[in-house]
Amino acid sequence: MAEIADILQELTNAEYSEGFTTDIEQEFFPKGLNGDIVRALSARKGEPEWMLEFRLDALRKWQGMKMPAWGHLQIPPIDFQDIIYFAAPKPPKKREEVDPELLKTFDKLGIPLEERDALSGVAVDAVFDSVSVKTTFQKTLQEKGIIFCPFSEAVKNHPELVRKYLAKVVPPSDNFFAALNSAVFSDGSFCYIPKGVRCPMELSSYFRINARGIGQFERTLIVADEGSYVSYMEGCTAPMRDENQLHAAIVEIIVEKDAEVKYSTVQNWYPGDSQGRGGIFNFVTKRGLCRGENSRLFWTQVETGSAITWKYPSTILRGDGSHSEFYSVALTNNYQQADTGTKMVHIGRNTTSRIVSKGISAGQSQNSYRGLVKVASGASGVRNHSQCDSLLIGDRCGAHTFPVIECANSGAILEHEATTSKISDEQLFYLRQRGISEEDAVALIVGGYASDVLQRLPMEFAIEARRLLSVNLEGSVG
Amino acid sequence: MANSEVILLKGDAIRTLDITVGAGQARRVVFVALPGAGGVIDCRVSVRFAGEGGDCVLRGLYLAGGSSRVNFTVNMEHGVPRCSSRQLFKGIVAGQARTGFFGLIRVPEHCIGTEAYQENHNLLLGDDCRAQSLPQLEIYADDVKCSHGATFGRLGEEELFYMRSRGIPMDEARRLQLTAFAAEVLEGVPEDIAAQALASLESLV
Repeated sequence: MAEIADILQELTNAEYSEGFTTDIEQEFFPKGLNGDIVRALSARKGEPEWMLEFRLDALRKWQGMKMPAWGHLQIPPIDFQDIIYFAAPKPPKKREEVDPELLKTFDKLGIPLEERDALSGVAVDAVFDSVSVKTTFQKTLQEKGIIFCPFSEAVKNHPELVRKYLAKVVPPSDNFFAALNSAVFSDGSFCYIPKGVRCPMELSSYFRINARGIGQFERTLIVADEGSYVSYMEGCTAPMRDENQLHAAIVEIIVEKDAEVKYSTVQNWYPGDSQGRGGIFNFVTKRGLCRGENSRLFWTQVETGSAITWKYPSTILRGDGSHSEFYSVALTNNYQQADTGTKMVHIGRNTTSRIVSKGISAGQSQNSYRGLVKVASGASGVRNHSQCDSLLIGDRCGAHTFPVIECANSGAILEHEATTSKISDEQLFYLRQRGISEEDAVALIVGGYASDVLQRLPMEFAIEARRLLSVNLEGSVG
Repeated sequence: MANSEVILLKGDAIRTLDITVGAGQARRVVFVALPGAGGVIDCRVSVRFAGEGGDCVLRGLYLAGGSSRVNFTVNMEHGVPRCSSRQLFKGIVAGQARTGFFGLIRVPEHCIGTEAYQENHNLLLGDDCRAQSLPQLEIYADDVKCSHGATFGRLGEEELFYMRSRGIPMDEARRLQLTAFAAEVLEGVPEDIAAQALASLESLV
């Protein structure tokens, strides 16, 4: 057993290789949140009047709201007046030029911003603290009529599209963090795929928190018009710090008739150290609307980071025959807490959905699945299958499952199953007997356990996800 | 099932039941909820284990039609290592009825060797009724086997077709299917209670 303790020790000290900081000249807004900060932010971005109104309205709503307490999470009090709501690298002297320090940062993270070096076939929008620093391949995409740009540019260049779709899926009053984000969101990505266009490359947003004391609030809006297709990836990292930093994002996706969107996330925010100090508080609202007939939306997420994760990518299946799938691997270690899952709301007829959730808890972490499958009374022919498995590694962690299933139509067939177990001794013994080290054996078993989800990820992401799972689990044998 | 306690809830009923399972003891309880056309039944069951080796089996059947309401809340607290529990709750919902099943299995730290299973199956017979299920697992120990499952569905069309093609009238075929669905819970229940359940089932067809 001593060996196991050693390995566990090692695991808890496993390096968070993205934990460096970038030394760069930045400008900040003063701490705190009020109407003046929102006005200053809007002015700084040169936003039109309607955008400012939208923000101020959201701020008013937020001021009247309370932080949700229903999650299976222990959240220390957050002082929202002690957060910097805007931080940006000093603008470069020449236009069209990105600070070499920034290029180096993203390079180190494996996200090259030079197009010639870039991952083949992946367009990246890189967001550093509160602003987007560079979006690659914009020209190539433009030729196809695809708009892929930072949110603030979209507000300036495509106001009619932004106004048409903004907050149509996640209204500011949706929840506490959605209201907060709507008031102070600083950047993010905007993506529009026109009718019948199949996006020729993967689109990707990469979010980086760098400055101390700031919160990151970005907003992503993806619109897939009739018959189009896009695959979208999102990644994120932050430096190692003793303080907790707030990240509250919104992702809205609108899928029109016959269109298909794949949204993949590898979430690797700094999870805090082995004593539970520091780490990112990740409160995210992600929701997609399958508006047209036969539209399809696929969520895939690998959650390994953050001290606290509060995130429920959801789909509203409104178009008849629309389909959605949710695949998730959530791994928690040390003192991490995750409360994550999905919502599938079936409104249209013959809508189908599938949920596969794999939770892995180690150390002293708490990992919860929370989900909703709802069938409206007019939705006949609905089919849903949900599967939630939890794997416990060590005897001080917790794994919980909180599904809600509501059915108001006799034509629906819904199934939900959940299991909780540990890594079986027989499997471990079998692998050990063949000369595989304990660490590798656990990594193999966990990899196999999560493979249903991992194989849904785009290739570049799948490799990264496998690496993250094994690093975060190194040797944690129960 | 031998030695089972049977609890019949009819019409309007509010029932709270605390069950303590002693060391090495086995407890079997069957709930039959028949609210009739407009009854409201609320049944809350808490189970705790007083010593190792306890085993608890809960089964429940609820037949809700008309404007009736049925709610079952089960709190399975596995506070002692090496105990086991099985739950099977089945509901048939018709008319404008509303049903809810809330079942929590909780396994605190160090309660290893726990085996806890829970199933909730619902049949919906119309489009104005509504059924809800909240099966929950809260697990703080690693060496356990816990699972829950919930399903929602309707009468199988293929089975109905099979029976009808053999000359069984539609109503009879539906009745047969519903009886088969309920039979798993009613097995071993005293005749008179089973007969009442079947009569109530008749009114849903």
